[in-house]
Amino acid sequence: MNRLIIFSILICGISEIFAETCQKPEVIASAYVTEDATILTNVAFTTQFVLKCSNGVKGITLYAEVDGKSLPAARLSSDNKYQVSWTEDVKKARSGDYNIKLYDDERYAAIRKALRNGEDPNSVKPLVVVVLNNPGIYRGPWINSELLAVLLAALVSYSAFSSKFKLLA
Amino acid sequence: MKWHIIFAAFAAFLLVTYAEEEEEAARLLVSKQLLNKYLVENMDIVIKYTVYNVGNAAALEVEITDNSFHPDHFTHVSGELNARIDRVPPYTNVSHIVVVRPRKFGYFNFTSAEVLYRHKEDAGSLQFAASSEPGEAIIVSFRDYDKQFSSHVIDWAAFAVMTLPSLAIPFALWYSSKSKYEKLLKTTKKH
Repeated sequence: MNRLIIFSILICGISEIFAETCQKPEVIASAYVTEDATILTNVAFTTQFVLKCSNGVKGITLYAEVDGKSLPAARLSSDNKYQVSWTEDVKKARSGDYNIKLYDDERYAAIRKALRNGEDPNSVKPLVVVVLNNPGIYRGPWINSELLAVLLAALVSYSAFSSKFKLLA
Repeated sequence: MKWHIIFAAFAAFLLVTYAEEEEEAARLLVSKQLLNKYLVENMDIVIKYTVYNVGNAAALEVEITDNSFHPDHFTHVSGELNARIDRVPPYTNVSHIVVVRPRKFGYFNFTSAEVLYRHKEDAGSLQFAASSEPGEAIIVSFRDYDKQFSSHVIDWAAFAVMTLPSLAIPFALWYSSKSKYEKLLKTTKKH
């Protein structure tokens, strides 16, 4: 009898764990990158997403990892909406796709355990991956228009004078 | 008597250690920074909130709220001005980023954001913290910014078009006379 109770408690516990993990996660994400960095010191990457689970789990804690940096996912005012954001130095920000790997409590603990034991943390599969694309950052014109004008003027006057001296010679 | 003193000392020691254990709580320092070189009307302003936990316990349910960006003065681009981070472990920092665009130019006083958090697992009331204040800053109008920093390509193109006649007309005259003389030269050589 006693064993049966313990067993049922165990099953309850397991089902509870299952109930808390997000099944078949789906995300609807929107992202923003400050592409015009002429007046910025740091480029901001922000992404907001709504997490949908097939089993209707709400309000779980999420952790994010981008390029080896771990970031918390901030919960926003509306239900199941999260934000992951970070900044990078204007000179160091690379263009292209950034993979934001999201982990729940359980998976994040597994990663930390893997790191402690010196194992590969990539063996832990993320709950879901959000891709943020950075099309490239504008840091001002490639060449100054004043400089270009001076170069053009120099070119024109050089060709004019050289042809004049050729004629006089 | 001696025993009494020793007992008292022991009790005091216990009390102190207990008090030290009591001290285990999260303490948050919050900074609010603007990551801009210039603040320009209708251009992005990046605001970074960084929460440092200098206490020896994790801060729970850290909620950052910033009511200083009134929708009449700022359009909201990305990132929310109200965010909750479930857990900030001790001796770590987390950040939250918001991007806004000012609608108007002129002086604006950037005030602090508010942070509410639970400094202990079983704390009954929430702890309040205010972030640092970036202070008063000037938001430049877009026209002024553009005057100073735009590439002025159109202006220079107009300048080039204006200088073109004074260069092109003498060149055309010279070229026509040159080709005339060259034609003459060829015809004389043939004879």
